[in-house]
Amino acid sequence: MLKGIAASRGIGIGSICVIVEHELKYESKKITDIDAEKARFQAAVDSFKEETAAMAEDIRKRIGPKEAEILEGHLVMISDPTMSGEMSKMIDAGQCAESAVEAVCDMFIGMFSKMDDDMMRQRASDISDIKVSLLKLLLGIKDIDISSVAPGTILVAKDLTPSMTSQINKSNVAGIITEVGGKTSHSAILARALEIPAVLSVPDVTTLVKDKDTAIVDGTEGIIYINPEGDVLSQYIIKREEYIKKQAELKNFLGKPTVTADGENVELFCNIGTPKDAKKAVECDGEGIGLFRSEFLFMEGGHLPTEDEQFTAYKEAAETMNGKPVIIRTLDIGGDKDIPYLGMKKEENPFLGYRAVRYCLGNKDTYITQLRAMVRASAFGKIKIMIPLVTCVDEIRAVKELVSEIKKDFDANGINYDKDIEVGCMIETPSASLIADFLAKEADFFSIGTNDLTQYTMSVDRGNADVAYLYSTFQPSVLRSIKHIIECGRKAGIPVGMCGEAAADPLMIPLLIAFGLTEYSVNPVLVLTARCIISKWSKKEADELAEKIMNLTTESEIVAALKEAAKE
Amino acid sequence: MVSQKVTVTNEQGMHMRPASLFCQTMTPFSSDVKIVFNGTSFDAKSVMMLMSACIKCGSEIEIQCDGPDEADALKKAVELVEAGLGD
Repeated sequence: MLKGIAASRGIGIGSICVIVEHELKYESKKITDIDAEKARFQAAVDSFKEETAAMAEDIRKRIGPKEAEILEGHLVMISDPTMSGEMSKMIDAGQCAESAVEAVCDMFIGMFSKMDDDMMRQRASDISDIKVSLLKLLLGIKDIDISSVAPGTILVAKDLTPSMTSQINKSNVAGIITEVGGKTSHSAILARALEIPAVLSVPDVTTLVKDKDTAIVDGTEGIIYINPEGDVLSQYIIKREEYIKKQAELKNFLGKPTVTADGENVELFCNIGTPKDAKKAVECDGEGIGLFRSEFLFMEGGHLPTEDEQFTAYKEAAETMNGKPVIIRTLDIGGDKDIPYLGMKKEENPFLGYRAVRYCLGNKDTYITQLRAMVRASAFGKIKIMIPLVTCVDEIRAVKELVSEIKKDFDANGINYDKDIEVGCMIETPSASLIADFLAKEADFFSIGTNDLTQYTMSVDRGNADVAYLYSTFQPSVLRSIKHIIECGRKAGIPVGMCGEAAADPLMIPLLIAFGLTEYSVNPVLVLTARCIISKWSKKEADELAEKIMNLTTESEIVAALKEAAKE
Repeated sequence: MVSQKVTVTNEQGMHMRPASLFCQTMTPFSSDVKIVFNGTSFDAKSVMMLMSACIKCGSEIEIQCDGPDEADALKKAVELVEAGLGD
């Protein structure tokens, strides 16, 4: 078994075809017939443009315009006056076309690879692709035609160039393994778009395998097996069938409302960290944003984000969601999240200290800037303000007071905003849970944060391995707390969501249905899975299970009973 | 020669797409178009040179145009940057 990066989910089983890297060797000789050399160079550039344009068109049609952009970028670069101009100049000076191409490309590769910007460094690999393609054209080297490999082929390569990926078909390529590349590399994006399982960054894999070896590519776990033992192979054949069946089943839930087996509607939202993630939420069929962590704005850039910077980010998320709710959590720092430039003091007990809403109310200028940006952005969608780590009623009152002053100021200055912008709180401390009935009178909505709620209820630092065994959302005390919070919210007539990991847990979902949770907020990739599980439980069945569970006295009994009742 | 300072506001800065749009728009002008950033001057009709400048969102750049249609070229260039370079 070899490990790599899980870049595209699914299981592929098949026969290996290693894509050999050609040695691009040539003798750099002094050119005498410069016109002929230039014609040879121009012919290579013309073929490159023609082939690249055809591949870009093919990718655009088969995969999408975004994926084709990389190849279109290659066309722009090769057509650039500096690029081809410098190459021509070198040929004029008597260098052969190969060394002109190599020298100019290497110069740009050197320049781009040193930049402190990920996207710019990516350009270095684009130029490297251009270099290799041009040299192959000049040297008359032909790659194997990937589009004609036998069905059930597992491709193994050092890296997949865009020209290789454009030839990949789902009908004959069963899996992809490479030595380099990460989750966001070109190969990974294309593999996911084509739904071909892929494991990338497996060290030295091209030298460890040979053609016709049998391989298993587990793109979900990021592992591969070369010439696996019989029982591993048979297990994986079953696993692959289950995966394919599951995927087909999940696809049926795309574009459908989230309803329980007896037809009760609930909301299924997504947790995101940046405004860009909102696009992912839309792609994954999320019905809103249940938790937009605003910390990224404060982590990046090394300075306090201005009102305009924050406004732009919130507005982008609101517009992407196109009128669907976007619940933004106000700055949640302290505890384990430090922002160096704020110069926060080191604390003995950071989780019990100056964090989240406590810090914000103690640094009102910073907080007002953030709240103003949120209220301004509410003119562009359905933004809701969520306060983290509330422990007493005074805190939510103080925040609401700040919001109402901002509204007055906006009214006086003619700034647009949503007059009904909601302010809710996270319920993630035992104190907030115990006074949830009081808080429900002040808040427009609740959202249960299961990670902190579990940690505080169980008094356990989950980073401490000696006590981590106590950290479980299925502890009876935590379940009672969750049930109580949801009941208090329902009695007061406000929606209650959950934005911790538990909201997508197949074991937790029936209990949440029984307690009456109205909004589930999950990682975008789990939307369909959660929708599928919710659809399998009726309120009646969930109630029966919950009644039994809430009478069990230990975590292990509870988990065992939930596992037994689970519906796959 | 005419010149003007302007701040790049599109989120990506001078990446592939914004840079190629800028070059494509400026190439038809017969004037020389240069971008001065961090004290270095870059040929604004070359995507490669523009990208190599590593101009990010929030950077202030100076656009210089020199030639028979310099005023029109500058006006167009400034408009383009202010409009977010097509992002």
